[in-house]
Amino acid sequence: MNVKNVIPYASTMLLIVGMMTLLCGCWDNKDINHRALPIVMGIEKSEDDYQVYLLIPMKDQDKNSALVVSDKGTTINEVIDKMNKNLEMQIDLLHLKIIIFDRSIAEKGLNDSLSSFMRAGDVSPKTIVTITEHKLRPLFERMNAASLNNGISLYDYFEKNAGWSPHLAQTRIWHVFRSMQSETKDVPVPLISAGKATALESSGSAVLRKGIMVGKISSDETLMFNAFAGMGSQGKIEVMNQASVLIVSDTLSHSTSLVENTPVLNSKLTLKVTIIETKGSPTATLIQQELEELWTARYIRMFRKVQSNRADILGLGQLFRNKIPMDRLKYWRDDYYPRLKFNFRIHAIIQNEGLLKMKE
Amino acid sequence: MELLEHLRNRQRQDADLFIHRIFLDRYPVTLVGATSLIDLPQTVKLLQTQVRHVVASESPLLAISGGIGERIGQEELVKVFEAITEGKLIIIPDNADPCIKLFPISRKLSRSIEAPMTENVLRGGISAFTEDLDTNIGIVKKQTMTDKLRIHTYWLGSGLRRKATLLYMDGAVNSSFLRELQLAVESHSTQDVPDLQTLNTMLGFTRWSLVTRFNTTELPENASFALNEGKVVMFLDRLPFAIVLPSLVGDMFASDNDRNYPLFFMLAIRLLRIVGVLINTLMPGVYVALVSVNPDVLRIELAMSIAGSRVGVPYPAIVETVLLLVTLELILEACIRLPKSIGTTITMVGGIILGQAVVEARLVSNVLIIILAATTIASFTVIGFHNAISIRISKYVVLILSALFGVLGLFAGMIVISAYLASISSFGVPYLSWPRSKEQSDG
Repeated sequence: MNVKNVIPYASTMLLIVGMMTLLCGCWDNKDINHRALPIVMGIEKSEDDYQVYLLIPMKDQDKNSALVVSDKGTTINEVIDKMNKNLEMQIDLLHLKIIIFDRSIAEKGLNDSLSSFMRAGDVSPKTIVTITEHKLRPLFERMNAASLNNGISLYDYFEKNAGWSPHLAQTRIWHVFRSMQSETKDVPVPLISAGKATALESSGSAVLRKGIMVGKISSDETLMFNAFAGMGSQGKIEVMNQASVLIVSDTLSHSTSLVENTPVLNSKLTLKVTIIETKGSPTATLIQQELEELWTARYIRMFRKVQSNRADILGLGQLFRNKIPMDRLKYWRDDYYPRLKFNFRIHAIIQNEGLLKMKE
Repeated sequence: MELLEHLRNRQRQDADLFIHRIFLDRYPVTLVGATSLIDLPQTVKLLQTQVRHVVASESPLLAISGGIGERIGQEELVKVFEAITEGKLIIIPDNADPCIKLFPISRKLSRSIEAPMTENVLRGGISAFTEDLDTNIGIVKKQTMTDKLRIHTYWLGSGLRRKATLLYMDGAVNSSFLRELQLAVESHSTQDVPDLQTLNTMLGFTRWSLVTRFNTTELPENASFALNEGKVVMFLDRLPFAIVLPSLVGDMFASDNDRNYPLFFMLAIRLLRIVGVLINTLMPGVYVALVSVNPDVLRIELAMSIAGSRVGVPYPAIVETVLLLVTLELILEACIRLPKSIGTTITMVGGIILGQAVVEARLVSNVLIIILAATTIASFTVIGFHNAISIRISKYVVLILSALFGVLGLFAGMIVISAYLASISSFGVPYLSWPRSKEQSDG
C-alpha cells in the first residue's frame, strides 16, 4: 500500500472514529458508583398524593448501612425526580427488587403504577410485588435497622435459592401485569409487615383480581396455592396433631369438561411426602388418609373463598380456554368461574416408612 | 592481473578480505576469501592433500577444478565477489586461466542445537532450530523420514543476500497454495528480506494486518507436523525459526505437541486456551460496559461490591482501565528487554505498583486489578508469541466499543473482530478454516 492509497483510507477511518466518538452520547454514561441503586420501594397514598419510600444501600465497603429516602408527589415519577434532585447520585431503579404497596392503593388497584413501570422499562419486570397493611415508615425503619449487608439481603426473603419458603407467594410485576390483561388468571400477592426479630414478616397473601385487591388468604393457604402451582416442595404440613410431613414433590393432573355451560374440573394432586415428626405411633395409612382428607377439605375451602371473590388465582380458567369461545372468555370471572364445579382429590404417597416401622 | 587489482582495491576497504599467495604443488596461486568465514589453515591443508593426489595421478593442476570446485572466468567480477560474500574460497592461478570457486572449511559461526528459548516443551522433542539453514533442514529431514519431502532453495535479495528454503510434503500440500507461494517468492526474489515484515510484503500480504500470516516455531516436531498437515515450511538463513504457512486460526489454540498428552487432556487444554482468548479480549470490555453503561446486568451483590470498590476513584471506568492496561503492557514490554538477571526486579516493582499501591492511592478499583491480572495471564495461554500480540491488540477494539455502547458495543466488537478474521486469507486459504489433508479435500 503506497502513500497515495493510505491518505483516503486513513481519512475515512478518522472520520468513522471521529463520528463514533462525537455522536455516541457516551458522556451521559454514569459510572456505577455515581448511581443510587434502591432495593426496596414503598408506595402509599397520603390524601391525593403518593408518598414514596426508597431503601438505598450505601456503598461503603466497610460499613453496612442503608438510607431511607421519602418524598411526596402526584405521580411516582415526580417523586423520583424530586429525590434525584436532593441526592448526590442518580437514582437507577433497574436494580429495584421489591415494591411494597399500601393496602389502600391495592384496594383501588395497582393498574396505573404497574402498567407505567412495565411501559417505561426503568423498573425490571422481575421485581417482587408485595402489599402491607401497616404504615410504611415504621416498616422501612425496621428493614433498615434489621437487615444485614446494606439491605441487599432483604431480597433474599423472596429468593428461591435463599430465604424463600413455600408459605410465601412469589409474585413479580409481570405476573400482576399478566393478571391485569388476562381474562382467566389472577395472582396472590404476599402481605408483609415489619417483623419483631426479623426484618419482615408475612401474614398470608392478598388476592388480586385484575390488579385490584379483593381478599386475603392465610399462609397455609398460600402453601396450597404454591403446591397447586408446582412450587410446594419443602413445604411442611401438620396432620391432626399426629405427625408433620414434608412435601418432596407434587404433580397435578386435570380433566375439564363443560356440561350445559357449567364448567366442571376434576383435579388430582399427587403429593410425595416424607414424615419428619410423629406423636404416638400412628400408622402410615392413617397419616396418609388424614393428610388427604385434611388437605382436600382445606383446598375446597380456599377455593370457595377465592371463588366468592371472583378472583381466579389458581388459574383454572386457563384449563377452559379451549372449551369456551373466544368472545365468551371475558365473562369467565363473572359468569363461568362462580359456577365452576371443582372436584378435587389428593393422593399422598409417603416415602419414608422406616421411622414408623421403628416405632411399632 | 585485472582481477587481482580489483581485489586489492577492495581489500583496502574491507579488512576482512585476505589475498594469500601459496604454491599448490609447483603452481603459484592466489587464495582469496573472507577471513571471518573461512578457516584458512585447515582449508590450505585440505587443498594441499587434494593437490598431492592430483599430482600423483599426473594430471595438471587445473584438473582439480573438475574435482573440487567450479570455474569462474577471471572477467566475471560480479560472480567472484558474490562467491566471496557467500563465504566461498576463490583460487586464482597466476596465469590467465579461469579461477576456481570451492567450498572451504568454514569457521563454526552458529551455536549448536539447544533447547528452545521461546517455546516450552513439557513432553516431546526438546531440540530447537538454530541459525544455520542447513542444520535446520537436516533436523527436519531427521524428524520426517520420508521420500515425499520436497525442498526448494532460493536466493533472495540483491544487495543483502539471504538464502531461503521451502519445504513441503508431496501429496499432502495444497497445490494451488504452493504454486502461488512459489510464484510470489520467485517474482520478488530480488527484494531484500532483512526481517519478517519485509517477508510479509514480499509474499504480497498487507503490512497493516493485525494477524500474522505465518506462524513461527522453534520446534522441529511442530514443523514436521505442519508438513504432514499439508502446510509449507520456510527457512530463512540466520533465522532460528521455521516459518509455517499458511497460518490458520486453529494454530492459536492447537499445538501439535498437545498430541503427546492423553486425548482428554488435549481437548481440555485446547478448550482452556479458547477460554483464555475470550477472557483476554472480552474481560476489560465487559468491566467497562457493566460498570459505566449497563450496571443492570450485574447481580445486585456484585454491583454493590464493585460500586463500593470504586468509591473515590476519580476517573471514569474507561480511563481507569486504559491507564492500568498501558502499565501492564509496559511491564510486559520491559520484561522482554530486560536481561534475565534483572527480570525479578520488574516483577517485584510491578507487583507493588499494581497489587497494592494503585488501590491504596484510590487511582483504580481493586476489582479492576483482578480483571486485568486475569486478562494478562490469559493472553499468554495461546500458542506462539505472535498470536498473543494479535489478541492483545483486539481487546482494545472491544474495550473502546464497550465504553461507548455498553454490552451492545461488546457484541459489536466481537462481530468486528470476527468479520476481520473472516476477511483474511493467504493465497486462497481462509484464515478461519481448518487444516485438511489432501484426502479430505472438498474440491
